[in-house]
Amino acid sequence: MSSHWLSRSFILLAMVLSTASLWGQGGDPAAGKTIFKNYCGACHNKDMKTDMTGPALGQAEEHWAEYPREDLYVWIRNSQALISAGHPRAVELWEKWKPVQMSPFPNLTDEDIENVLAYIHQEYTKEPVTAGGPGDGVPVEKADYGWLYWVIFVVLAVVAMVLSRLIAQFRYLNELKAGNVDAQKPAFGQMFRSKAFLTFLTFFVLAWLSFTVVNRAINLGRQQGYQPEQPIKFSHKTHAGLHKIDCKFCHDGARRSKHSVIPSANTCMNCHRAIKVGSTYGTAELTKIFASIGYDPTTDSYIENYDQLSNEEIEKIYTKWMRDQYMVAHGDFDALGETAVKRQWEDVVAALTHGEEDAKIQGPIEWVRVHNLPDHVYYNHSQHVEVGGLECQTCHGPVEEMDVLRQYAPLSMGWCVNCHRQTEVKAFKDNPYYQSYHRLHEELKAGKRSKVTVEDIGGTECQKCHY
Amino acid sequence: MKKKNQDFWVGVDQLQDTQKFEEISANEFPSELPLANSLSKEDLLGAQASRRDFLKYLGFGLGAATLAASCDIPVKRAIPYVVKPDEIVPGIANYYASTFVRGGDYCSVLVKTREGRPIKIEGNNLCPLTQGGTSARAQASVLDLYNVNRYQGPGKMAEGQFAPISWADLDRQVKGALSSAAVIRVLTHTNLSPTFQAVLDEFTARYPGAKVLTYDPVSSSALLQASEAVHGQAVVPDFRFDQADVIVSFGADFLGTWISPVEYARQYASRRRVKDVEHPDMSYHVQVEAHMSMTGSNADKRIQVRPSAQGAAIAALYNALAGKNGAPTVSAPALKGEAAGEIQKLADRLQKSKGKALVVSGSNNLGDQLLVCAINQLLDSYGNTIGLDQISYQRQGLDREVHQLLDEMNKGAVDVLFVLGDANPAWELPYAAEFREAMKKVKFKLSTAGVPNETSSLCDYIAPDHHYLESWGDARPKAGVYSLQQPTIAPLFDTRQVGESFLRWAESPNFDPGTEEEPPYFRYVKKWWKENMFTRQNSYSDFQKFWDHSLHDGIVTVPSELAGLSANAVDVSAAAALQEKPSSAELEMVFFETVNIGGGQYATNPWLQEMPDPVARTTWNNYMAIPIFWDGGIEWKAFKGLNQQEIYGKADKVEVEIGGRKQTVSCIRQFGLAEGTLAMALGYGREQMGVCGYQEGVNVNPWIGLDKNGNVRYYATEVAVSDKVGEDDAFACVQYHHTMGVKGTDPQTGEELNVDEKTVMTLKEGYQGGLTNRSVLYYGSTKNLEELVEHIAEKRAEAQEWVEQSLYPYDKYNEKFYSQGHHWGMHIDMNACIGCGACQVACVAENNVPVVGRKEVSRHHEMTWLRIDRYFFGDYKNPHVAYQPMMCQHCDNAPCENVCPVAATNHSSEGLNQMTYNRCIGTRYCANNCPYKVRRFNWLDYSTADIFPANEPYVEHEDIPFGADNLTRMVLNPDVTVRSRGVIEKCSFCVQRLQEGKLTAKKEQRSLSDADVRTACQTACPTGAITFGDMNLKEDLAAKLDSPLNYYVLEEVGVRPSVAYSAKVVNTDEELTPAKKHESKEAHEEHGEG
Repeated sequence: MSSHWLSRSFILLAMVLSTASLWGQGGDPAAGKTIFKNYCGACHNKDMKTDMTGPALGQAEEHWAEYPREDLYVWIRNSQALISAGHPRAVELWEKWKPVQMSPFPNLTDEDIENVLAYIHQEYTKEPVTAGGPGDGVPVEKADYGWLYWVIFVVLAVVAMVLSRLIAQFRYLNELKAGNVDAQKPAFGQMFRSKAFLTFLTFFVLAWLSFTVVNRAINLGRQQGYQPEQPIKFSHKTHAGLHKIDCKFCHDGARRSKHSVIPSANTCMNCHRAIKVGSTYGTAELTKIFASIGYDPTTDSYIENYDQLSNEEIEKIYTKWMRDQYMVAHGDFDALGETAVKRQWEDVVAALTHGEEDAKIQGPIEWVRVHNLPDHVYYNHSQHVEVGGLECQTCHGPVEEMDVLRQYAPLSMGWCVNCHRQTEVKAFKDNPYYQSYHRLHEELKAGKRSKVTVEDIGGTECQKCHY
Repeated sequence: MKKKNQDFWVGVDQLQDTQKFEEISANEFPSELPLANSLSKEDLLGAQASRRDFLKYLGFGLGAATLAASCDIPVKRAIPYVVKPDEIVPGIANYYASTFVRGGDYCSVLVKTREGRPIKIEGNNLCPLTQGGTSARAQASVLDLYNVNRYQGPGKMAEGQFAPISWADLDRQVKGALSSAAVIRVLTHTNLSPTFQAVLDEFTARYPGAKVLTYDPVSSSALLQASEAVHGQAVVPDFRFDQADVIVSFGADFLGTWISPVEYARQYASRRRVKDVEHPDMSYHVQVEAHMSMTGSNADKRIQVRPSAQGAAIAALYNALAGKNGAPTVSAPALKGEAAGEIQKLADRLQKSKGKALVVSGSNNLGDQLLVCAINQLLDSYGNTIGLDQISYQRQGLDREVHQLLDEMNKGAVDVLFVLGDANPAWELPYAAEFREAMKKVKFKLSTAGVPNETSSLCDYIAPDHHYLESWGDARPKAGVYSLQQPTIAPLFDTRQVGESFLRWAESPNFDPGTEEEPPYFRYVKKWWKENMFTRQNSYSDFQKFWDHSLHDGIVTVPSELAGLSANAVDVSAAAALQEKPSSAELEMVFFETVNIGGGQYATNPWLQEMPDPVARTTWNNYMAIPIFWDGGIEWKAFKGLNQQEIYGKADKVEVEIGGRKQTVSCIRQFGLAEGTLAMALGYGREQMGVCGYQEGVNVNPWIGLDKNGNVRYYATEVAVSDKVGEDDAFACVQYHHTMGVKGTDPQTGEELNVDEKTVMTLKEGYQGGLTNRSVLYYGSTKNLEELVEHIAEKRAEAQEWVEQSLYPYDKYNEKFYSQGHHWGMHIDMNACIGCGACQVACVAENNVPVVGRKEVSRHHEMTWLRIDRYFFGDYKNPHVAYQPMMCQHCDNAPCENVCPVAATNHSSEGLNQMTYNRCIGTRYCANNCPYKVRRFNWLDYSTADIFPANEPYVEHEDIPFGADNLTRMVLNPDVTVRSRGVIEKCSFCVQRLQEGKLTAKKEQRSLSDADVRTACQTACPTGAITFGDMNLKEDLAAKLDSPLNYYVLEEVGVRPSVAYSAKVVNTDEELTPAKKHESKEAHEEHGEG
């Protein structure tokens, strides 16, 4: 039995290995990358090693190796079909991941799938990239060895204590030997009163204090992790993650301007004229956009002279809409509904008005700014997005996973400079602009340098960002 | 007169007492500490601080820091549009073509807007007049939009108090007054807009008793009258300074203020550049004038005549030419002094250049102007250097019209008076007091001024007009040249365009109420263009396309609407009879218009107030220019021995009495004044205008009289000046500020001093910076141009030896950094630079440079990043002038960088000397170490950029600092940091523009070209004197850097500056340089003998 099992697995392993190498040759990883980004990337982690919404894909081929290749194709095109058919691997996965269903992709050809698999294989076997690297959407956590210092510290402290105790004991014995009758047996606490220890302690405390003070002072005004509540419960996870709307679709300034631009209400209306009720909050959040711009979802039209309407008139329009939708959802409008609509409306008013100075419901939505740079810093989105070809996630983190947006990066000068030091100028060879750096080009050609970083062309100089 | 050992100089004190001057100039900052009042030296040295105090402050400091640290970071809001306009992308500037018009001042412009706010004016390259050039006035005009003193809506004046009313009320009142009025008068400055003219025509057609009267703040009445007599129309002929080989100007400041200075400056400069050293081919420019105007300072020769002898000089020139051409001569009083001979020589020169000569005059005397026409006819100028088809409309004011109005008003005949826009007859007329009295007799007076002025305060109603950046409109500066004006921002206040007001009041059938997007006046302008302009062109068959295209370009040129003007013969003897006779008075005073604040209509603009007068280098005040005398020895004396303390920032005050009116004025010593002549600027001493410029200077209008033809005469003859009556302790003249590189004399031996030879050790006295006998200014004449070239080459070779001994491995840097990528550099052609100051104001606007005010300027605290150094050279009595725009030279071995203890200033791989404000701790070592003195220190919070503005609402001795309110702050350029107190700042080569240009090239996937990177000063320059670019590119800049006349300022100190200057060349037979050394030796000998 065991030998049988062994031989079978050996054959399997050989098969896997041989086919794997075949597959690797069969697909085009570059083409696969695009497909991965368009179809898979929203749920499957790009590093292929860790799970996300969907499982890590790194070993998918191995897991499916014992079944015909076509099974994997079917699985990727329509997983639910395979599950219903009772395919063992499919059922196993379903048991582990339900109720999350994988979206069907009937349009993918066998070739496409091979390309994606080749890309997955390539990514899986690649060396991990440090956080902040170009195009690296999801940074890899660095291993934290901080605890080791503490262990060493404690061990050393114990050794020091034992040694000092030994020295004290030996000194005492020496004194006794020399005939000093007054010699006292060293008490345990004596060592903590010794000059050496006190000096060390003072030095240590001072050093620690200054270190902390300086660090804290440097961090004043920085807001990494800042996650304020916004007037609208807008979820990037829903929009960028689930529906995979390109960041630059709404933040259209990022391609051409220094500002990425908070989308205006009419940008929202591009889609929300059709999607009038939200999946999570129903009418509660989307009504805020409608009330801001003056769109009446009941009649599907923009309200004439909206600017002149009083708050009461506006209330009538939108509470009617909320009530109607409540009816649609619950089939009946009861006291509970009344409270719900009332609460929703209060929430809308609170989100769109700001005390006495701005008591009007109409007008812009005042979002809370999450990423704040000081006034003396010049930052240009288009330089990074359009010229540098960076992914938004490099600085903004996995926005597609955030329900409430959070400041991912420290946005400190050190962080900026560090990236400029490490990042390669991708367009250096192709963009004619960079041809004026002829010496760097020669060096690249001669193989004297492997890449040109932003720093090499002056990207860490003061007046690149401060003027 | 050309003696002593100075070859060029900035002012008298330098000539008189070089040692004192050097002491002053050696200190980057004046010895007087800015906070001396509160912290005197004794207090500081004797201060007692106990240990307890120390601990207290330490404790408080720690506590405060803890508190501050625990404070929450304020929540910032990001507010998007509700419906985003398609054309606006936040962060990207939009440019709109429009037209700057103020009275007769015209400039076609592009308005830079950011997020809907106009923030900067650029020139429009498509305009045939300005060709992309601008003036200081046009550059500064954007600030007027955000003037806090603007009328915020219509109002009624009751007992001098403004009471807001509604537009409907106002219209009712106006219509009521109009319906019962028999005589209606509309008083305006020159109106360039054909559309508004159509509106006024409708108005006068509706009310037969109505008449429009035009005058100009500084009158050109005689010029127009002469035109009327000679050409049959009161218009300005088309002067073509680029066609003339010889230009003679009798007091016309055509580069600074006269008619169309931007246009003329471009034409003039095109003939003043030395393109080829062997054939300089420069035009020859002679200025006949009483005091040195900006134009005169650029002349090859100045002939000094007293103001009252101006007419005699014109007549003398006419007679000399008439003699040569067999024309009848006129009887004229003889010219006194050297001038007579000079005029004869000039006549010879002109006669030789017949057909290629141009004579103009700024005189407001009809006889003078008629004789100038006759001179031009003798010289065949008409059709050659004076065009008669493209005539100019830029001056239309006739003095006689205002006199008539005054008479009518005095008789009580005027029922309704409308005063339009800038027109301010109650202040700017010579007989303003009389006008004010007469105004009381008018039943209904209305002003459309946008900003309060002396006249509007006397009116009954105010119907404030939009600023031009809020307006629709057009302008026709010259026949066939039409320029459109479009709003670049919605009206900030409840103002209404004057055209719309008149359409409403005229109950015009063409009035279309329009919509919010298309206001009535827009509809009217469009309609006018459809009926009048569309029909005159053939390029477009669809009006909308024509309109869109015109609006986009801002300029439409069509064939001139006028048939060529005739040129009738001048009755010269009648003309001579109209001339003023020279006065025999001991003293005469000439009144002139300044480049910056004009006749006073620009006095409300702080940028213009703080821009130094090009020649006198004074700000915020009109000082009385007094002549200087030199006895040939070592003593310099000013008129009445005044202003001995000028170098210490002190001017003397005297009482001046003209025509029984006495006023106290401050003096400034001035070169180039005709003997017995004093000079004062017009436009100062305004009384009602808001905060800026309020009562700065002296109002000279009451001193001005009329000539015998009834035109305003811009000089006075019976002048009585008292002895010194006081001192002006805020003498805001920048001529001794930030001086550099001028020579000195050893106080012991009297020898010319060079610190390389006599070091601090042997002299026992320090000369900080060691900047004597250095290459600051090279100049020569066309006669010895080759010598000049050799001289420059020699000096540069010598300098190169010094430079190569540097410890700094420049070659290494050059190989590693500057030779690849970009290496920014600049070239300034000092022959094209006329000193107009447009670059300086453009720099202020572009870089958020703060305004500091008069008192601060007097303490050397002006903040301008770009200054225009004015140097005199040549003959002391009648010197030549060179203008040298001086800004950070972005040295590749910058001395400022090495001394910064915190590396706040350092060098970029593109050759920029970078300044990082947030790192700067204000030691000012860099400023002290800068050989060019171009670094500026924020002594006080001029820009009110501090986080807690309430901490310092007052800058010492000044009112609330300019720019402390949010309205004014709308003019700030969001791409440039607003600096706070305690940091150094300086020219950055407009790094924000460089970065933008680079980014554009990168995004468009192409290599950079010089056209992508244009600094603010470069784009503002009307003559194209400044060229900026990448020295690694073989483009515009590289071509300029080829000239053998180029040199670097202070090249020998080894700092490797990036700004090249080309030497000043004067078109004269004088040998100006380089025989410096002999001269100085001679001077010593003479000195010794004496």
